[in-house]
Formats: sequence, structure tokens, C-alpha cells
Amino acid sequence: MRARALMLALTLSAGLSACGESSREAVLDVSAATSLKPALDHARFQHARVRLSFAGSDVLAAQIRAGARPDVYIAANSELPRALAREGLVQTPVPLARNELVLAVPRDGARVAGLADLGRDGVRIAIGARSVPVGAYADSVIDQLDAGLRRRVLANVRSREPDVAGIIGKLAHGAVDAGFVYRTDARAASPRIRAISFAARLQPRVVYEAAVVTGTDQPRAARAYVGDLVRGRGAQALRASGFRPP
Amino acid sequence: MTRPSAFTLVSMAALMLTLTFLALPIVAIFTDVAPRDLIASLDDPAALDALRLSLLTSGLALSIIVLVGTPAAWLLATRRFRGRALATTLVELPLVVPPAAAGIGLLAAFGPLGVVGSQLDAAGIRLVLETAGVVAALTFVASPFYLRQAQAGFAAVDPRLLDASRTLGASELMTFLRVGVPASRAALSAGAALAWGRALGEFGATLLFAGSLRGVTQTAPLAIYERFGTDFTGALALSAVLVLLAATILVAVRLATPEADAER
Amino acid sequence: MLSAEVRAPLRAIDLDASLSVAPGSCLALAGPSGAGKTSMLHAIAGLLRPSDGVISCGGLTWFDGATGRSVRPEQRRCGVVFQDYALFPHMSAWRNVAYGLRGLRRSERRLKAVELLDRFGIAALTDARPAELSGGERQRVALARALAVDPSALLLDEPLSALDRASADAASRELSAVLREAEVPCVLVTHDFAQASLLADEVAVMDRGSIVQRGSAADLAASPASAFVAELTGASVLRGVARPGAAGTCELTLPGGATVVAIGAATGPAAVVLRPWDVTIESASPAGPASSARNHVAARVTGLVPLGGRVRVALALPEPLAAEITAQAAESLALRPGAEVRATWKATAGRLVPGLPARQGRS
Repeated sequence: MRARALMLALTLSAGLSACGESSREAVLDVSAATSLKPALDHARFQHARVRLSFAGSDVLAAQIRAGARPDVYIAANSELPRALAREGLVQTPVPLARNELVLAVPRDGARVAGLADLGRDGVRIAIGARSVPVGAYADSVIDQLDAGLRRRVLANVRSREPDVAGIIGKLAHGAVDAGFVYRTDARAASPRIRAISFAARLQPRVVYEAAVVTGTDQPRAARAYVGDLVRGRGAQALRASGFRPP
Repeated sequence: MTRPSAFTLVSMAALMLTLTFLALPIVAIFTDVAPRDLIASLDDPAALDALRLSLLTSGLALSIIVLVGTPAAWLLATRRFRGRALATTLVELPLVVPPAAAGIGLLAAFGPLGVVGSQLDAAGIRLVLETAGVVAALTFVASPFYLRQAQAGFAAVDPRLLDASRTLGASELMTFLRVGVPASRAALSAGAALAWGRALGEFGATLLFAGSLRGVTQTAPLAIYERFGTDFTGALALSAVLVLLAATILVAVRLATPEADAER
Repeated sequence: MLSAEVRAPLRAIDLDASLSVAPGSCLALAGPSGAGKTSMLHAIAGLLRPSDGVISCGGLTWFDGATGRSVRPEQRRCGVVFQDYALFPHMSAWRNVAYGLRGLRRSERRLKAVELLDRFGIAALTDARPAELSGGERQRVALARALAVDPSALLLDEPLSALDRASADAASRELSAVLREAEVPCVLVTHDFAQASLLADEVAVMDRGSIVQRGSAADLAASPASAFVAELTGASVLRGVARPGAAGTCELTLPGGATVVAIGAATGPAAVVLRPWDVTIESASPAGPASSARNHVAARVTGLVPLGGRVRVALALPEPLAAEITAQAAESLALRPGAEVRATWKATAGRLVPGLPARQGRS
């Protein structure tokens, strides 16, 4: 009985020390917009181990408001980081990259060739939810269409997804005929998805901004990470995935 | 009075720990939201739509599960046939499949490009992105909760009762209806309550298979997730309502099980 | 006429038995557990499908292995009383009894059910649940339920084994009356040979799936075909009219004139059940000290069956009685058929069964 208790105590303490921060290597928790996943998964940051958590930018912001404390927050727009900064939850946001919104369709047998087709009868469209950046951007594009087309397009919207992953997934399985995603997403999913550009005047200004979260216990490492994404190996990884400079 | 043994004390502590852990998040939902906010957020038509859709789809799913699942569970419980063990395992599979994987599976099977999907499409049956698809997803994830209980309940019926019924002139169907089902009332209603609760709370499979559109496929859990990003109070409020709804259903089904039945 | 020729491989044994029972008479299937008696009953009722054989009742073929015909249990209409009675727990007594009644309105079904319950003296329990009834009451409800459907045959599986001794005696009486009045073939399964001899007209002994001997209870007891049957069929039953005797005893007057003493109290028709090894034999006019046994009855030897070191002696009082003594003793008494002897046994050895009427016809 004694021996067992001793073993248990030893195992527990070994486990705990492994979990705890060791001074040898810093660990950074980064909350990033889903669309950054292909790029950030491949980026190697030299000065710390990075744990990435992807979700819709709005959900990540809500988590921070509710008390979650990652070290870095990266959103697919500038509104969300600046709102958090005004509330004192993050430091001043820094622009990281730009992206382009595209119309995505299945590679084979697409029924949609352009924006005008979105209004046709029976076309099924998936876009992001209103509160998530990719959805807000899509709304801005649709809002600029002429009234009749806009009405028909909105009637054809069959799902408002919490993040781009849902839109890509539906496109890949043929569940919808078209969706608004970022060019980088279409590229990452390119065997099954094709991107269609639309008029530049309709294109929203898609800017990714990153901010160090207030109260992080790794401020230097966090700032270094953000800096690396602006002009270091992280930036190279972003370019490689198709993100444009800020 | 004898002192409780050490084991009894440890068990009691374990129970207190369990109850606290399970109750805390639920209680926190209610304490974090002011009642006025709760009511105000219910005025929101989107929230009402979500709740209505949740009730509709979970109710339909439960009806399908009970109608189809009861005779199926009966066969599994009362007949020996080759492959019975396999069938029982298959029935339990959705329990261990993560809901997201279930959603992908449903897409792969019933989506337009899917195995059966193209056939369905030709027949004019559309599940993906439709309310019917929500019902399908809920039926898939909630079935095992009912089927397992029903099967166990039926298996526990003394086979001699069924024999007696047959010798008294009742066919297999009449025996099932007049002896099998009434004798397993408790298990069946417990299973139904669990299945309904599970269906009410389903998120991942619904999102992946049926999508999220207000009034069509956005059930309460999906609406909560959407609100979480912008309106935390609203999300809390809707969560509170959902919890109350689920609790009410649980209690109602329990009460509806006639303890002393009306067969007098 | 119910006739059943059944072959069926079971878990531990192979069932291979044939029986036939005339309407109005009762055959007991006696034997140890695992002999296949219940399986035989289930085969007749349609709950077990034999691999081969023929089962028919009242001219209708219920099962024919050759043609593959097998009538479903609900169409055979056997009234079955199961061991443990199998009453539906979620139904009251009258609903249990009325379960098999078809085509009648609810009020009519209830009336008929109450009638039957009344016949068994438990009309007061009409609305009670099985859980609220005693063992004896449950047995009566089960019997009423089986009779309610006007069965083509009555099958009883150990109908008394779930009861304590006192209830079993009372139930035995009732059952005996029911069996006598029934106009259909009855088959009774029991592991208790005494019960078999009390309730049935004929007894078939089953062992490991086959019937090893069939005949009247007295024949089996007096002339067992094997040591196994001898072991099983221990009992002789002496029926007569009882009146109370001295100090806790009772005197039973047999039709042949002999008087038998037993422990217990009874008045009117009763029976004494005896085991052969409790019976001693003396020469007809004993010289020497009187024995402590209270029963000394004149008897004539009608048969002798040697069983290894023992001999089963068939006696006539004139009522049939079986005794078992050592082969040596049989030798020294020079017993042979026709010899006049005295059968002796202790009053404490005989078990008194009050209220059992005399049998008409068969003994």
C-alpha cells in the first residue's frame, strides 16, 4: 500500500513538472483565425514552442472576453483586435497580411461561373455567419450587387457557417454550389475547389491583424512571434500560402 | 449506530465530487445571467426560431427512433440469430463516433456526391442543408441511447411471460404489444428521455451535415455558438433556456411513465 | 386424444419420447431435473420445435417432421401452467385470466374471469396484482388463466413445486378436482413421484430424454423396470376414510377393511403415502415380542422383483402396497407370490394427505 502511494506521488509530480513551464523553452499559446491554418501550421518559430488554436475570429475574441488568456491573438479583420484593444484586453494590434475574397466552386461540374450565376434558381450558397470576418466580407460584396440580384442571392444562401472550414467542407462534398472564402483557402483545398475572382471594386479590404494579449507571461516571446510574422520566417510562410503583404 | 466504513466515506466523497462537478457549469449558466437579460433575449425572434426548430427536429427524430427502433430492439433482444453480436455493436457505434465525424459520414453517405445521396437526389429527396437533414443527423446520434435501453429492457422480460402469452392465443405481434412493451415501460421511457436530450443538444453532426441557417437548420445549440461570438449574454440566456427545456423533457417523460398503470 | 412423438436434440441430452393421453385422463411425466420433461411439454405446446416426429391433438396435426408442418403456439390453444406461474406482473388477476379471451366485450371478459376466479375461491382478489398474491393464490390464478381459453389440452409444469407444504396440500386437492373434471387430455410434469401418483391416472418415467416405463403409479412402484425407476417411484398411496384417533394420530379405514394409523388429523376421505423401505414384512402369525410399529396389516404377496441386494415386494391389502427388504430377509421369510404375510410400518412413516377422495376405476 505504501509502495503504491509512493509510486503514485512520483508519477504525479513527474507529470506536473512536465506540464509546467520550464525555463529552457517558452511555450506560446496563439489563437488564430481558421483561414491562417495552412500557413501557420507550416511556420517554424525558433524561439518558442507554439501551440495553435484555430476558430472563427469572433469566437476567439469572445473567449478572450470571457477570460481565456492566450499569448497572441490574430484575427482576419482589424475591427475585432481593435475592439479588444479598446477594452484593454490586448495591446496595440499590428497588421500582418492581406487576403483576397473569392467565389469558390467545386472543381468539377460547377453550376456557377460568376457572381451573376449566384442568383439563378436552385443555386445553393454557403457563406460565413454575420459575426465572423469571412461572413462580414461576403455580406459587403452581396450588399454592393444590384437590388434584384442581391435579393435572389440572399434567398439562395443555405448556410451561414461559423468559419471557413465549414464552407470549404460543404463545397468539397458537393453540398453547396458556391461559397465565399479567401483565396488562400481555395488554394489549400485546390484539388476539389476552384476559385473565381470578381470585380476589384467589389473586393473588400481584408487585413489580418495580430495583437499580444494583455497579461501574457511571455511578452517578449509574444512580441517576437508577431514580429516574425511581419518580417521573418513566419512572413515567408504566409507568402508561401498566398497571403499578401499588409 | 455503527460507524460507516472507510470505503463508504470514500464513496460518499466521490459522489459529492461528481455531483459538484456536474452541477457547477449548469448552475453557473443561471447565476451568470440576470433574469431580465434572459427574458429580453428570448424576445429575439432568432432565438425563438432556434428553439422552435430544436423542438421540432428533436421531436421528429425521437418519433422515428421510437417507431423504428422499438421493434428492432425487440428482435435483437428476443431472438438468437447469426450476427446478433455484430448488430448490437453496430447499434452502439454512433455513441463512440465523434459528432463531427458523424457529420462527415452522413455527408459522405447522403450528400449529393455520396453513396446513397445520388439516388436520393434523383428521387427528389434532399437532406443536406435542409431541416430533414437536421432530423437525420439527430436520429443518427441519438438512436443508440434509446436502442440500448430498449434492448436491455426487452431482454430482461422473463421469457416465460412471452411463452405464456403465446399459449394463450396471442401472436408474436400481440405478445410484443401486450406483454413485451408494458413489461419494459421503465427502460423504454428512460431510453426515450436520454435520446431526446441528446438530440436536443446535438451540434457537430448538424453543423457539418445540415449547415446553419436561421429558421431552417439553425437549432438552439448552433444559435448559441453563433451568439457566443457577438452577444455573450445572449448566448448565456439561450443556454439557460435550453437547459431548462432539456430538464423539463427529462422530468416529463419520467412522470409520463405510469408507475401504477391504468390497466385495472 | 393427444399424441406426441418427439425427437429433439437439446443442450445436454437428446429428447426421444412418445406418449399419448386420452381426453379426460391425466398422464404424469415424472423424473429428475434435466430428464427432458419440460422440453416435452414445450414441444407439445409449440414453444419448442422438434427436429422430427409427429404431434397431434383431437385429430389435428400440430407438428409433422416429415412434411415440415408446424402449427404456431397461439393456434394450438394448449392451456399451460408454467413453473413459477408466469403471471403478467403489470396486469391484475382478472386481466391475467381474461388475457386469452377473444371477441368479447370488456365487461363480458371480466365477468367470465371473475367466474373462474370464484370457482377457485379467490374472487376477492380480482383486482389484485400478482405481486400482492401468495404462492397458492398465484397458482390458482395461473390455473384459471389456462382454463379460461377452453384449451384443447392442459399442460402443467411442476404446478406445486413453488409452494410450501401446507399450501401444496390444499392446492393438490384442488388440482386433483380440476384434473378429474377436465374433458381434455392433461399432461403433468413433476419430479415428485408421490405427487404424480396422487394427481395422475398414469405415470411415465423419463430419464435422459426417453420414457423408461409407463403405467399406473402402483404398477411402477410395485414392479419397477429398473433400479432407476425403483429409486424414483418410492411411494405407495393407500386411500380410505379417516377419523381422528388417539393423541395426534388418525385412523384410516381402507376399503379392504384394514385399518392404518398415521400422524396428523383428518376426517373423511384421505390417503396415506408410504415409501417401500418404511415397510417391514413379518410372517403371518408373529411369535415373539410385538414390534413398536403401530401398523400391522395382513397382506398377500403378489410379486417379487430382485434389485441387487434388495427385493421390491408387491403386496395386496387388497390395496396395492410396495415394500422393500433385503434379499436375505426375503429368503429367510421364504416369500413367494401368494404367501400371506403381515406388512408392518411405523405410524410416523406414513404421510397423511387429508381430503383426497377415492379414485373411480383405476387404482
